Amino acid sequence: MPKLPTKSFDRSLWVFHVNTGSCNGCDIEILAALTPRYDVERFGIKLVGSPRHADALLVTGPVTRDMEDKVKRFYEQMADPKVVIVIGSCGISGGVFHESYNLVGPVDKVIPVDVYVPGCPPRPEAIIDGVVKAWMKLERLRREKK
Amino acid sequence: MNLDFLTPYGFWNPILWLLVIFVALLVAYLIWLRGNSRYKKGTEQTKPFLSGYAPESKEAMMVSASNIYWGFTSTLKGYYNFLRKMHTGDIRDYLGWYVGIVAIMLILYILWGGA
Ligand code: SF4
Repeated sequence: MPKLPTKSFDRSLWVFHVNTGSCNGCDIEILAALTPRYDVERFGIKLVGSPRHADALLVTGPVTRDMEDKVKRFYEQMADPKVVIVIGSCGISGGVFHESYNLVGPVDKVIPVDVYVPGCPPRPEAIIDGVVKAWMKLERLRREKK
Repeated sequence: MNLDFLTPYGFWNPILWLLVIFVALLVAYLIWLRGNSRYKKGTEQTKPFLSGYAPESKEAMMVSASNIYWGFTSTLKGYYNFLRKMHTGDIRDYLGWYVGIVAIMLILYILWGGA
């Protein structure tokens, strides 16, 4: 169990979600985390439409050849400090697609990854847990930078 | 000096307006100050976001004026093609046209002018 921060987070976390080749199962679970049942927006976790506005990059699926340059650009367009969260077994190891001719590989072969959330697909609780871990790392990075 | 203006339609004071503009600029500046200053200039971080695609040149991304007049120029294609041929961009051609037209007008004037 990670050590929880003693005070509340400094600021809300804006997340950019990208599907690099997932079957959409993980993406549906991310949406589930936003529904009234889990409602992560009440904690300030918000999906944004551009990586330039985001603190965290949420990646689902293995990286297909077509998405390789795009996911790199998403990562480079985010301001520092930033964190990358991979949701689902596909992004971690290739999962059910791991021997596909059309893959570059798991996400950490293309960009650095901070948090892995395994599962096919992971439950919304697991996704929220991963996001909170990434959030804590981000706050740490921010404090180190100050 | 009294700068107040009281008309049947309302009240006007230029000093008050300057104050309003100053406050608005101040608020805009404060909002700008709250922005993220960590973007590194000259890197991907300050380039436009185009769903992950590499940004093209500004000219290629903008709607050109020819798009707005497309219907017009397409309908009058014959006329425009003829006009375009005349517009060579060479000043000597334009001077040639000028001298030619003036010569024709002079001849016409000499033959029938002033009658
Ligand atoms: S981990 Fe499972 S649910 Fe998620 S994208 Fe891969 S196959 Fe789909």
